[in-house]
Amino acid sequence: MRFSVVDSIPGSRPKSQWDRESRERLIFLTPAVAYLFLLTVFPFLYSLYLSLYQVKLTRMDRKVFVGFDNYANLLTDSLFLHACLNIGIITGISIVIEIIFGFLAAKIFFALRFSRAGGILRSLSILPMMITPICIGLIFSYILNPTLGIANYLIKGAGLPPPGWLSDQTFALFTISLINSWQWTPFMMLLMLAGLMSIPTEHYEAAEVEGARWWHVARAIEIPAIKSVVLVGVILRVIDNLRFFDIVYVTTRGGPGASTEVVTLFAYKQDYQYFQIGYGSAAAVVILAMSIVITTFAAGYLRRAEGE
Amino acid sequence: MNRGTHPHRLALPAGILVAVAFVAPMAWMFLASFKSIEGIFSLPPRWIPDFTYVDNYTKLLSQNWVFLVNSIIVTLGATLLCMVLSLPAAFGLVNFKFRGREFLADWILSTRMMPPIAAGVPLYIIFNTIGLLDTVWALIVVYAGFNIPFAVWVSMSFFRRVPRETIEAAMLEGCSWAQIFTKVALPLTRSGIATVATFVFIFAWNELLLALFLTTRAAKTFPVVISSFVTNSMTFWEMIAASSVIQAIPPIIFTLLMQRHIVSGLTMGAVKD
Repeated sequence: MRFSVVDSIPGSRPKSQWDRESRERLIFLTPAVAYLFLLTVFPFLYSLYLSLYQVKLTRMDRKVFVGFDNYANLLTDSLFLHACLNIGIITGISIVIEIIFGFLAAKIFFALRFSRAGGILRSLSILPMMITPICIGLIFSYILNPTLGIANYLIKGAGLPPPGWLSDQTFALFTISLINSWQWTPFMMLLMLAGLMSIPTEHYEAAEVEGARWWHVARAIEIPAIKSVVLVGVILRVIDNLRFFDIVYVTTRGGPGASTEVVTLFAYKQDYQYFQIGYGSAAAVVILAMSIVITTFAAGYLRRAEGE
Repeated sequence: MNRGTHPHRLALPAGILVAVAFVAPMAWMFLASFKSIEGIFSLPPRWIPDFTYVDNYTKLLSQNWVFLVNSIIVTLGATLLCMVLSLPAAFGLVNFKFRGREFLADWILSTRMMPPIAAGVPLYIIFNTIGLLDTVWALIVVYAGFNIPFAVWVSMSFFRRVPRETIEAAMLEGCSWAQIFTKVALPLTRSGIATVATFVFIFAWNELLLALFLTTRAAKTFPVVISSFVTNSMTFWEMIAASSVIQAIPPIIFTLLMQRHIVSGLTMGAVKD
């Protein structure tokens, strides 16, 4: 005989017991929910409220209601639009690089999956993604120093023209994307490795018997197996990139010019450098709206892809 | 074919190349931390420094040890508070049947979409009003809260693995939910909980943006100090090198310890490894 106590409907129990149990249940759930509400929903509503005012952080008492003016100004602020474009470019370039190099690295470590040396090399390769992003940014700003950095020393040694990396207006955005993808390629690599591991060996054996070439194997066996994990990875990376801040903050601060300005840095500067918290809050609300739209869209896409 | 225990002969050299590509930049900064200011940027580069030269570390820590302690207090405090709040909630969401359970779980997950920048100014104003601005308390409270969605969601996946029969048996013996939680569920999910706590620890340890908003002097965390070595007029590379090495130690140790769980952790359980 089995008693399904867990599934029993609370209402069917004696009243006193239900009361005691429901109180106990509340103790489990309420603190986290209330805490989360106070720390995310309340600040968000407050940001929404501030975004309708012209207000300085230093003179909070003098605020002027301006309605949606801050939002209207954002749409014509070339710096903000530039920041939106830049973060789109960084996200696009980074994710493409992460997928290509992540796949190559995953294939290499998949081939080495039974070797002890392979395990050690893989452990070393995943170190970047958990390391503090500002340290990653500073490591590369040291290596890529235009005149005294080791990278340009080696490039000059090879007889090639040394690029300006972070100091060149046209090149800086690409360099930032490279740094970002260097940190996160290991993540994509691990995701794809998990996907490759899930392929039954018989599929490879069958391909071998049929004399399939490597690109046939990749297209017919490997890519379908890793498609859904890669999709999860891409969604998480897009959401993370919308809050991309730390690396730019310690390397270029958005410069040279506005060439590496990104949305979170833009909002931060409005709040903390110019103290225009009404305008900064409007930018933050737009960033949140973008993440909600992207997440909703991506989640729907993911659900459809998994349904197939 | 390169299958089974005999990988392709190029696989190992390629693997070494990959590892070097990811380790060499970090190693270069590590080497720089043992060089004097002149040595850091000398051309041609001085490859191997004198490892007995630790002036950078002694100078850094003698001036900034307080902020390292801040970072440790904030990170440990936030991790503890976050787990104390999240574990019961995750347990409840898995084991209690009530209307709106799915909605509540989804709502908790959706709060992770909240970009920290959208909370910076409101939190600054709130903590300023109650006099907690520039204290470690403000950061503990904020970091704990921002990691609740992650901690709840991943802990739920561990509590789901506790066998139903075990919980029902405990109920039949008259255990309350609190007893089942502390005496049955927690011991059975120990290693999973340790993984979640480690992630929360690293997320809090690495955070910069909200620390910039909520600290000015006394409560600065180590990342804030590191970022302050880059000024408009000059960059203190010897300080950056030494502080980056110290800052990277906990993430490196934890990554090596729990690499098996990194994929499922970072995808919030969406991908198993």
